[in-house]
Amino acid sequence: MVLMFEEAYKQQPTNEELGAQTFFANVRASHWKSAQQANDPATPPTMKTILYKLAHRLVTSSPTPSYQSNDRFHLHLSVLQELELYDDAHKLLDSDIGRAICTTSLSCNEIRRNIWRKRGMIVDEGKLAMQRISEKHDRNWLEFLSVLDATFSYFSPSDESISPVEGLEHVRKTKEFFVRIAGEDGAKDRSAALALLELEKRARVHGISKDSTRLVILMQDYFNRVGHKACCFEDLKPYIELGENELTDWTSFLQAVPRSFDTPEELQRLINTHKLLRYNLTQSELSVEAETARVALYIEQYLEGLKLGSNLLSTELQYADDLALLATNSLVTLWRITSNEEYLFSAVTLLEFALTKSKQSFQARLALIRLYRLLGAPSLAVDHYRAMGVKQVQNDTLSHFLLSRASTFSLASTGDLTLATECLESTQIYLSNSQETADFVVRAFQGERYSQIPEFIIFEERLDNSLQRDIVKMEYLRMRLTHEQITSDVIDMELIELKFIFDRTHYDNRDFDIMSNYQPKVSSDIFSQTNLLEKNESHGWLKTFLKVYIRAFQQGSDLDDSVEEKLLIGDRPKQSFGEDSRPPLRQRLAEPLTEEELAEVTFFENIVARSQDSFSPQLTQDELLFVQFARALAEWLELYHDYTRPPPNVVLAEAAKQTELKTGYPLKGVDLAALNRSSPTKKDEEPPAVTEPPEQVARFFETLKVRFDETRRNRSLIESLHVATLVQEVRDIRIFRPEELTGYQALLLFVVETLRFKSTVVVKANKFGALAASLKLIRGGAIEVLRDISSELVKQSEIVATQENRNTLIDACVTMTSRGVDADFLSNVTQKIIDSRKKVIEGVSKGIERICSTYSK
Amino acid sequence: MSVLRPFKATDMFKFNNINLDIWTETYGIGFYLSYLSRWPDLCSVQEAPSGRMMGYVIGKAEGSNTDWHGHVTAITVAPEYRRLGLARKMMGLLEMVSDEIYKGFFVDLYVRCANSVAIDMYEGMGYSVYRRVRGYYGNIGLGKGGRDEEDAFDMRKPMSRDPRRRSVRSNGRDMIVSAHDVS
Repeated sequence: MVLMFEEAYKQQPTNEELGAQTFFANVRASHWKSAQQANDPATPPTMKTILYKLAHRLVTSSPTPSYQSNDRFHLHLSVLQELELYDDAHKLLDSDIGRAICTTSLSCNEIRRNIWRKRGMIVDEGKLAMQRISEKHDRNWLEFLSVLDATFSYFSPSDESISPVEGLEHVRKTKEFFVRIAGEDGAKDRSAALALLELEKRARVHGISKDSTRLVILMQDYFNRVGHKACCFEDLKPYIELGENELTDWTSFLQAVPRSFDTPEELQRLINTHKLLRYNLTQSELSVEAETARVALYIEQYLEGLKLGSNLLSTELQYADDLALLATNSLVTLWRITSNEEYLFSAVTLLEFALTKSKQSFQARLALIRLYRLLGAPSLAVDHYRAMGVKQVQNDTLSHFLLSRASTFSLASTGDLTLATECLESTQIYLSNSQETADFVVRAFQGERYSQIPEFIIFEERLDNSLQRDIVKMEYLRMRLTHEQITSDVIDMELIELKFIFDRTHYDNRDFDIMSNYQPKVSSDIFSQTNLLEKNESHGWLKTFLKVYIRAFQQGSDLDDSVEEKLLIGDRPKQSFGEDSRPPLRQRLAEPLTEEELAEVTFFENIVARSQDSFSPQLTQDELLFVQFARALAEWLELYHDYTRPPPNVVLAEAAKQTELKTGYPLKGVDLAALNRSSPTKKDEEPPAVTEPPEQVARFFETLKVRFDETRRNRSLIESLHVATLVQEVRDIRIFRPEELTGYQALLLFVVETLRFKSTVVVKANKFGALAASLKLIRGGAIEVLRDISSELVKQSEIVATQENRNTLIDACVTMTSRGVDADFLSNVTQKIIDSRKKVIEGVSKGIERICSTYSK
Repeated sequence: MSVLRPFKATDMFKFNNINLDIWTETYGIGFYLSYLSRWPDLCSVQEAPSGRMMGYVIGKAEGSNTDWHGHVTAITVAPEYRRLGLARKMMGLLEMVSDEIYKGFFVDLYVRCANSVAIDMYEGMGYSVYRRVRGYYGNIGLGKGGRDEEDAFDMRKPMSRDPRRRSVRSNGRDMIVSAHDVS
C-alpha cells in the first residue's frame, strides 16, 4: 500500500493529492521516518531539530497566519517550544489575539504556561493567575498552583537580589488573598481552603512557617468545611505529615467528631474520621485485638448506616459502603498478621453482603476478585470480573485483576478453557488498536487538529507495547501447553510469536490505583497485600519467562533466523533505535539474569513461615529452581540440538514442498534440490559425545519431591504447635503450593526440549542412545513425583468439602450473623466458596494426571 | 479544587474510576479518538491534585444554519467526586467554547426523563426541555420508572448568538418525537 503510493508520487511529484495520500499511508503504517515526523523515538536528535526547523519555516511562511485556528496556533507554539525560541513564542502570545485564544483554549493555555515558565516568567504567571481567580472566578487548581509557585519563587536560592523580608511579604499577601477567596467561596468551592494548606506546607519546606499549630488548625478548618464530602480524606492526605504534638491535637480533634449520624452528610463525616484516624495508626496500634475491635465497629456502623439509604434506587450506591471497605482493610490486616484464612472469609462474606445492598459497587467487586483468588476460589473471581463489564481499553488496564498469574488456576489441561478464553478476549483490544488508531492520526491531520497527534501516537505506542499484553501472552502460553499436545508446529509458532515480543520496550498501563486503599501509611497498601503470589509480576518477571521459553522453543525448533526470514510473511516488528548494536538474540537469551531483573522477579513466600509484613523482593526457592532447571537443561542439550537440527536449506526445501502440496504453488527462491540428497542428516563431524545430565536437571524433580514432603512435615509441625484443628488444614490448602505448579511447568518445558530426541531415527543416526536413556529416566522420575502430588490434591479436595470445614467458615462470620446478616445468605456464600475450591483442586489434580499419561511414553 | 485540562488520548488508561460506574459507558477507542480528532476543545477532564481523574465531558459541534450548536455527548463524574460542582464547571467550559469558538446558537444534551436530579441540575444551569424523545435509551428496558426510564429529554440552553431565545420553547415537555427523528 505504502509502496504503491510512493511509486505513484514519484511519477507525478507535482500531484499534491498523491503526495498527501502517500504521507497518510505512511502514517497508517507508522512509518514516521518517511512521514517526516520529528517526534518519532527512532529519529536521532540532530535530525529532530532539522525537522522542527523545517516545520517552523513552513508555519511562518504559510499564507494563513497560525492564529486563524486554535490548533494551528497550538502547533506553531509547539514548534517554537521545541526549538526553544521562547521569545518568539512570547511575542505570539503577547498579542490581543494570542491572549484571546489562551482564554478559550485549555491546550493553548497549557502550552503558554510552559513557555512562560521556561522564560522565567513565574511571577507574571502568578499575577495572571491571581487575576483569573479573583476577576473571572476561575477555580482551576492550576491557577492556584501558579500563584503558589510565584509566591515561593522569591525564595529560590539562585536569586539573591530578593531579600527574605520581601519574600515573607509575598507569602503574607498570598495568604491574605486565599483567605479572602476562601471566605467568599464558603462551602461552594474548596480550592482556596486547600490552597491555604498547600501554602502552609510549602512555607514549612522553606523554613518560614512561624506558627507550629497552624497546619493542624487549617486541617481542622478544612475538615469542618469539607468533612461531609467523600473527597475530604484524599484532599487532606498529602498534608498529614505531622509532628508528635500536632498528631495528638489532630487525633483528638477527629476523635471528638460525633459518632452518631442521622443524615448522609453526618455519616460521610464519620467515615472520613475513620479513614483519617486509620491513616495515622502506628504499628503497635495494629494488634489483633485492636483491629478486631475496629472490624466490629466498622461493621456495626455499616449496618446502621444502611438504614439511611433504604430508599435509594437499586442503581445507587449506599452511603455506608466505605465502612464495609474499611472493615475489609482491617480484615486483610488481620489475615496478614495471623495468616488465618478465616479473616479473608469474613471479608468476602461482608463484601458479598454489601453487593446485595449496592449492586453497582465496583470497589466491592474489585476486592472480591482479589480475595477469592487468595482463597483459591478462582471461578468466583471470574464471575465478579465479568459482572464489572470490563471492556475495550479497560481490558488492558484492568485484566490484571483476573489474569495475573492466572495459569495457576487454569484448568485448560482438563479441557476447561474459561481462563484461556478470558486471555484471548482481553487481547482483542490490541488488534483494534492497530487497526483503528493510526486512521485517527490521519483524520487529525486532515482536520488540522495537530494538538492531538502526538498524544494519539503515544497512545497507540503504549497500547501496542503494553506489558500486560505480553504478560497475558505468557499466561496463555502456559495454559496452552497444558491443553494442547506439544508438537513441532506448536513450538515453531510460539517461537516466532515470542521472538516478536522479546525486544519490545514495554509500557506498564495496568491500573493499580483503582482499588480504594484505607490502610495506615505505616503498612503497605491493600493492593500489594492481596497479590496472589505476594508480589506483582512486572518487566523482570516477563523477561525471565520469555528467556526460558524462547530458548527452549528455539532449541526444539528447526527454524533458525535465516529460515524464518524467508518463510515469514507480513510485517516484521518495528526496529527500534540502536538495535543493530546489540548482541544476537541467542547470546542474549543465554545470559544470566541481571541484578535488576532478579530484584524485580517476584516470588511466593511460604505462608506458614512468613513473619508479619516482612518479605524480600527475591525469587522464591521454587520459581528460581524452575528457572535454573530450564537453564541447565538448555545448556546441557544445546550441543545435541545444534548437531541434530537439519540445515536451513533442507528445512526451507521441506517447507516449500509442503506449501506446494497445499497450495499448488512453489515458494519463490527456494532450492528443492536439498531434499534429494540421500541422507540429509549426514554431517561431516562426528556427533558430540553424550554426557551425563547436570545435577540441576537430574535431581530437579527429586528436589521438588523433597520440598513437597518437607512442606507436608512442616505443616504437621505447625499443627502440633497450634492446636491441631481442621482450621489449620483449611488454611494451608488455600492455594497450590508452588512445587506443584513448578513441577507441572517443568515437565512441559522438558517435553518441549526433548521432543526432537523422541524420534528413534534421530537417536540411532546420531548415536544418542545414552542421551535417550537419561531423558527417559528423568521423565519417569518427573511423572512419579507429579502423580504423587496429584493424589495428594485429591485428598485435599475432599477435606475442603467436609462439614467441619464448612462450620469453621460459618463460625468465622459471627460478627455479621450476630448483627442480623441472614444465616441462609452466609451458608450460600460458604457453599459457593467450597464448590469453587473443590473444583479447582480436583481439576488441577486431574490435569496433572492427564498430562502424565500423555507424556509418560 | 480540581485541575481542568484538555482530554488526552492517554486518559483512556486512567478513567476506570469514572467508567466502572454503571451509568458511564466505555466506548471503543475509535469513539474517543474521533471526538478528539474533530472537537478536542469540547472535550475536557477534571483531575484531582493527586492526578486521579474525577470526571470528563465529551462534546461536539453539529447542525446547520440556526440549528448549528454544541452538543454534550457524555458528561460524567466518578461516584466519589459527586456533589462538588464539577459537572457545572465542565459544562461552563463547553458552553464557553461552543459560544465563542464555534459560534453555536445553543448547547443541547439528552437526559433520561427519570433522572430528576440531573434535570434539576441542568435547569439550574439555564437549560430547558425542548422535546421528549421516545425510546432514546431503549436498550435498557422498562424499569421502575416505566417510559421515563427509556425516554430522553432533549434540553437546550441558548447562547449569545440566539439573543431572542429562538432555540428554546416553554412547552417542550409536551413535544414528543421518536428516536428516529433525532440525530
